[in-house]
Parts: sequence; C-alpha cells; structure tokens
Amino acid sequence: MTCFNRRALIGCVAGTVLAATGLSVSAQDNEITITHYFTGELGLKALNEQIARFEEASGYVMRNSPVGHEDFKTDILVRASGNSLPDVFSYWAGARVQFVVDSGSLAPIDDMWDREGLDDVVAKSIADSATLYDGTRYLVPFNYHYAGMFYNTQVFADAGITNLPSTWDEFLEVAETLKNAGVAPIALGSKNRWPAQFWFDYLLLGTAGPDYRAALMNGTASYDDDEVARAMAMWKDLVDRGYFAPNANADTWTDASDKVHRGDAAMTLMGTWITGYWNDIGSVPGDDYAFFPFPVIDDSVPISVVGPVDGFVVSAHGNNPEGGKAFLAFMMSDTDVQLAWTNAVGAVSANVNVDPANYNDVTQSVIATIGASDNFAFNYDLATPPPVAEVGLSMFAEFMDDPSRVDAILDQAAADAASAFTQ
Amino acid sequence: MERENRFWRVVLLFLPLSVFAVFVVWPLFSSFWYSFTDWNGFNPDYAFVGLDNYARIWTDRLFYGAIINTAMWMVAAIVLPTLLGLALALLLDRQIRGARIFKTIFYLPICLSAIVVGQIWTWIYQPDWGLLNAIISFVAGEPFTHAWLARPGSALWSVIVAWSWQQTGLSMVIYLAGLTAIPSDLLEVCDIEGATPWQRIRRVVVPLLIPSTIVVIALSVINSLKGFDILYIMTGGGPFHSSDTLAMHMYNESFKKYLMGYGSAISVVLFLIALVIIGFYFRQLKRIDEIYG
Repeated sequence: MTCFNRRALIGCVAGTVLAATGLSVSAQDNEITITHYFTGELGLKALNEQIARFEEASGYVMRNSPVGHEDFKTDILVRASGNSLPDVFSYWAGARVQFVVDSGSLAPIDDMWDREGLDDVVAKSIADSATLYDGTRYLVPFNYHYAGMFYNTQVFADAGITNLPSTWDEFLEVAETLKNAGVAPIALGSKNRWPAQFWFDYLLLGTAGPDYRAALMNGTASYDDDEVARAMAMWKDLVDRGYFAPNANADTWTDASDKVHRGDAAMTLMGTWITGYWNDIGSVPGDDYAFFPFPVIDDSVPISVVGPVDGFVVSAHGNNPEGGKAFLAFMMSDTDVQLAWTNAVGAVSANVNVDPANYNDVTQSVIATIGASDNFAFNYDLATPPPVAEVGLSMFAEFMDDPSRVDAILDQAAADAASAFTQ
Repeated sequence: MERENRFWRVVLLFLPLSVFAVFVVWPLFSSFWYSFTDWNGFNPDYAFVGLDNYARIWTDRLFYGAIINTAMWMVAAIVLPTLLGLALALLLDRQIRGARIFKTIFYLPICLSAIVVGQIWTWIYQPDWGLLNAIISFVAGEPFTHAWLARPGSALWSVIVAWSWQQTGLSMVIYLAGLTAIPSDLLEVCDIEGATPWQRIRRVVVPLLIPSTIVVIALSVINSLKGFDILYIMTGGGPFHSSDTLAMHMYNESFKKYLMGYGSAISVVLFLIALVIIGFYFRQLKRIDEIYG
C-alpha cells in the first residue's frame, strides 16, 4: 500500500512536471503575449475587438492579460524585474518610456516603422514627441488625449453665459458669474493627486512658455523660480476667490466629473477620457456637455496643449519581437481599428488617415484646438522622471489643502525635486 | 518503520518548505542584497552602493513622518480594539436582552476583508454625502463637518477608527470566551463581600483575563503589522504623505519612484522593527507561560 502511495506520489509529481513542460513547449511561434491597462468596461471590450481583428488578419494568436490602470504601474515593474515582460505592452509616452528605454527593456522598432511607412501615417507632432527616444523609435501612439475645460452646457446657459472665455480675464469673469449664480465654478478631484497636474501644466505653460517648462521638467530650472511662483500665485488666486468646489482632495476625478454632470459644479479641467465616462452614463456630447480650450494668459507665449499619449511598445527580451512589431504596425495603420478604438475610449487618433468627420462634435473641436496650437506637451507626471513627478504631485495636493502655505510648499518642493533628480 | 516515516516526513515537508524558501526566505535575503544597491527595478545593471541607502534614510523627512505614523498606528491599533473588545465583552456577558444578536453584530465586521471595510468607511467619511458628516450636520450644523480622509490632521486617525471597528469583534469574542472560564464562586464571593462592580472588574475579572489579553494583543500586533491594505484603500498614505506608514513609504519609494534599492533599505528597517517587537512579545509570552503554566 505504502509502495503504491509512493508510486502514486512520484507519478503525480512526474505528471505535473511533464504537464508544465508540455505547456511551455506548446507556446508557438505565432503566439504574442500582451499586457495593457485598458481595463474599463468599454475600453476592454473595444480593445478585445481590435485584437480579434489583428488575429484574423495576421494569423497570430494573442495571449492577453490586462491589469487595472494604477496596478499596471507596479505590475510592469515586477515583471521587468523578473525578466518576464510580455512581447507587447501598453505604456505612457514620455519620461516613463524613457525610463524603460534607459533600462534596456525595449526593442527598437525603426525597421518596422520604415517598412510600414509610418512617417506618412502618424501625425508629425505626435511622432516627434512621443515615439523617439535618444534618436531611436520605440513606441507607436495607439491614441492620445487632450486636457481641456469640459463644462455642463445647461449650467452655463442657466448662468446666462453665452460667450466662452478665451482670455484669462474672460475666464475670471465667467467664474465670477457662475459663483454668483450659486454654483461652484470649478470641480477638481485631486484625491489621487494627478488631476491637479493639468492646472499646474497650463498655468506654467501659459505664463512661462514651453522652453521654461521643459527646463523645469529636466531639472535645469527650479521649483523656487519666479516663473513657478507666478503660476502658483494665479492658481492660489482662483482658490482664494472661491472658484474651486471645496474638499478637492476628498474627490477622485470621477467624483469631480459627477459634480459637473449633476450641475453641482460648472466645469472641470480634465482629459478627453471624460467624454467616454460621460457618454457611458448617458450624457450627449454637444447637448449636455462641451469643452473650451484653457484660456490664453499671455499673447506673447506660444499656445500649448497638454495630454498623454497611450502607446504600445515591444519588449527587448520577449519571445516574439517580430510578432510584437506586426501587432504595433497593424494597430497603428488600420484606420478602422483606430477609429473604433478612439471612439470607444473618448480619445483622438494620431493616424492622419482617420477622417475627423467620424468623431462627435466635441472631439472634432478638440482636434481643431490641437491643430491650432503651437506645442503639444505631455502632462506633468509623464514629462518629468518618476521620482520627481512624485514630488510635484504631492506638492499640488498639499497646495490644494492649504494654498496660504504656497511659499513654504514651493521651497520644500525645490529641495525635494533637486534631490529626486540625483536619484 | 522509522525509516519509512522519515521518508514520508521529508517528502511531505519538501513542498511546504520549498514554497516557504521561494516565497519568504529568498525574497527576504534578496531585499537585504538590493538594499545595498541602486537598483531601479527595471535595469538589470545596478551598482553596489554600500550603506548609501541607509545613510539616506536619516535625511529623508518622509521617513521620519512614516516612523511616527507607524508608531501611532501600532499603539492605537493594539490599544483601541483591546479596550473596546473588553468593554463590549463585559457588557454582553451579562444576562441582557438581545445579547446574542449584539454579539453577532459586533463580530460581523471581522468577516469582511480589509478592502471592503476600507471602502465602506470611505463612503462613511465622504464629505459631501457621507453618513458621518450627515449626522454631524444634523446634530451640530454644517460648519462642523469635515473632510476626514482628505485633511492631514484627521486622515490617519480616521483609518485607525475604521480598523478598530473591524478588529474589536475579534477581541470581544476572545474576551467572552475568557469570561466563561472565570470560576463563578469567585464572582459570588465578590457579591457576598460587597465589592463594587468596578472593584470586581479591576481586582478579579481583568487579572483572570490576562491569558485572553495575551492572545488579543498577540493577534492585534500581528494584524497591525499587516495593516497595509486598509490604509492603501482609504488614503494611499495621503493626503500628501500625512498617513504614510513605513510599509506605505516603502511601497511608494519602490514602485512609484522606482527606487527599489532605497525601498529595500526601508523594508529592512521595517523587518528589524517587526523582529524587535515580536522578539519582545515572545519573551513576555514565555514569562507569562512560566507564571500561569
């Protein structure tokens, strides 16, 4: 009996080992592993549909393992440290991709880019800013977003606002009108810190310009400079005037969006993904909500727009780099894929062959605004290295808690950022 | 026969010991190693930096904040559930109507995961429509409402209250079990001798509950050291690091700033603190074992 048990046990172990070996052997050449952070209900469904299109067109089989947006940042680090990155993964263009490039974890895609003629497909401003790292291409921009002032059209109409503000003085006037009408002019949900960054980005870009901002992002300028102090003083002025809904640090970006949706607040400075969120809960673009660009503060400063670019990259140590590149080429070049995807998540396509007429009115206005701008800038936490971004994001939340401490907060941020740049 | 037993012992221990070695021992030693490097988590090339990461700890203002918060968290997370559990057990041990239902109700939160508890209390603390502010607004007026999780002065304490709410049920049940073991003749003597209820509790009940208290404190220590999830859900260490504990600070440095070497150094410090606390606890346990047999 004992003998039988021992045999059974050894048999079990052997069977398990064989099964595991068989599994690894069964990984085929036409299989591509992918991880991404598009886990929202609409996004996941839409991406799965686009992946199915690629599988049908190419004969490749995709092994898909999505991870929630915030958890993704940790997950991809853990997988990189274990040298087990998937063949393809989504990532945010800018400083974060640069960080992974510096660690040697990404495969260059210049050969595929040239072969597929992507120079003629990807909008030049996005291609130049989002795909090139140290002169080599590593990323295709699957979509991009733009941060603008999204507002509740009914609330604006009820307050008697007919002309949308395009200058800073007009913006202050509109905010005052809304406040007098008994509605909070601006909703901000900075519980998770990042939504506050757009205020800093636009105020700094609109007053100090893109060159100074780039210097601050790469550590050659400091957070205790006059330029930063001036931008923060304008932000403080808005808070002091009572234009922000109270307790910003208690709300997430969806809480703030809900406030605008319900009419408790009038507008929020947010990325175009808010359109996907609002559409999903029944708002009609153009009728229930619309957007206007961040007001021009100084005519002499180039007009900048801010937003993130979601890209796909290929792992340097994956099992199927060629398959990964084929996936990137298809997802970028196929206009049906691009249109279906960007419409589902409220984003904009960087593919120049996608006809803007296929988007709703609000997204068409966004595209026109981006086209009329002088500069496309990544939002703060994608424009500066991750350790520094952590300093700034906490600085914004601390500022929203008590703006009267702005000078002390900036001094501390200057010291912390200087230290973070050396890490 | 003995040889056969030894064979099976080795075979059956092999799997759990392998799992323990791979998932506990190896990461532990890896952390020690990485704490002496400048590894960023991504780059396979990293340099040995000696004690640089440990030296940096002394100049990290967020580390000091995290140490203070960790101390507050541990003391409060041990003291509050213990005292509240004892108080509830003493109240419900008497023959009062509905005691059994109350016992069930007070015990229920421990059946929930920390994530669920964190989400429930996040809703309770929500400043605009949360239950707590609704009650405060009704009783005292709107000026007394507060953004509990969004202000640096109240965030950590708000999480501690939620944590205590969950853990109190466990302490209560252990104390209730302890109360049944107290000889009834001793309590009768108290009545005959005319002891006041307070004297009865202080001089007779509480001293006889020491074995239960040891178990309650042991569980509280272990649970509070593990108390990362509820803090992560409710505040994530915020607002702006005001509720960071050492575990949260280590997580932020490692996974948000990509400073895996420095994060490992913090985790080693956390490990040493836990080692001292558990070592002290086992020493006390041994001493009490000797007294009570």
